[in-house]
Amino acid sequence: MASEPGNERMALARVAEAVAGHGLPAARLERLKTAVAEATMNAIEHGNQGRAEIPVDVEVIEDGDDIVVTISDLGGEHAPAGPVEEPDLLAKLEGEQRSRGWGLFLIRNMVDGMDVTTDGPRHTVRLVMRTGRCGRARSGRRRP
Amino acid sequence: MKKACEASVRALPGAAVIELTGEVDGGAAGVLTAAYERAIADGEPGTVVLDFAHVDYINSTGIALIVSVLARARSQRRKVVASGLSEHYREIFDITRLSDFIELFGDVDAAVSQLQGQ
Repeated sequence: MASEPGNERMALARVAEAVAGHGLPAARLERLKTAVAEATMNAIEHGNQGRAEIPVDVEVIEDGDDIVVTISDLGGEHAPAGPVEEPDLLAKLEGEQRSRGWGLFLIRNMVDGMDVTTDGPRHTVRLVMRTGRCGRARSGRRRP
Repeated sequence: MKKACEASVRALPGAAVIELTGEVDGGAAGVLTAAYERAIADGEPGTVVLDFAHVDYINSTGIALIVSVLARARSQRRKVVASGLSEHYREIFDITRLSDFIELFGDVDAAVSQLQGQ
């Protein structure tokens, strides 16, 4: 999808459509949707710098009991805008931290696993959500 | 289809209700700031109710906007409460600890009833 503000909503809708019927309870689906939206927003804003012509790729893979979503941009290693700090609400309320900076925190807290890899310009965030189904052998791969 | 954030403000004795609709994201900054200004301009309310019953999306930038509203209200010794959050966004308010500082109500009527009973 094009790196345009707001397209994270398209990503979460397509991921939700792709995983429908794959055993993810509603509450966990909502968590996955939030993580996908935040990771896609980061890819658009920080990875591709909002350049619409550079795509963000979103892929959904069913891997045994896991649903794996990868979000890739072509921004290479994302340089943090400032010191990476854990968001602390009280510090934000007292002006000791900026009010923003919740994206990665939300992603980490919404999914069962998250890792980040960089291969040349390609920067990929991989989100893992366990469905809780055991012993299911089926595996599928789909692009939303 | 993106649903831009809109806000209406209702004044009550001692409180003001900001009813939000649409999406609370970066695009909501001006709307939320203007709504807060209207809310506190009329009668100097001690409490501001943020009603999210008609909000279907809040992202991390929206959370930051809510933090900014809360910070401003605290500096003015005003209380902020919230109503109408879905279970998912209640969870996000818990994870971010916003719910430590913003009392949550199921709906705006419950929030108003409690405020008026105080």
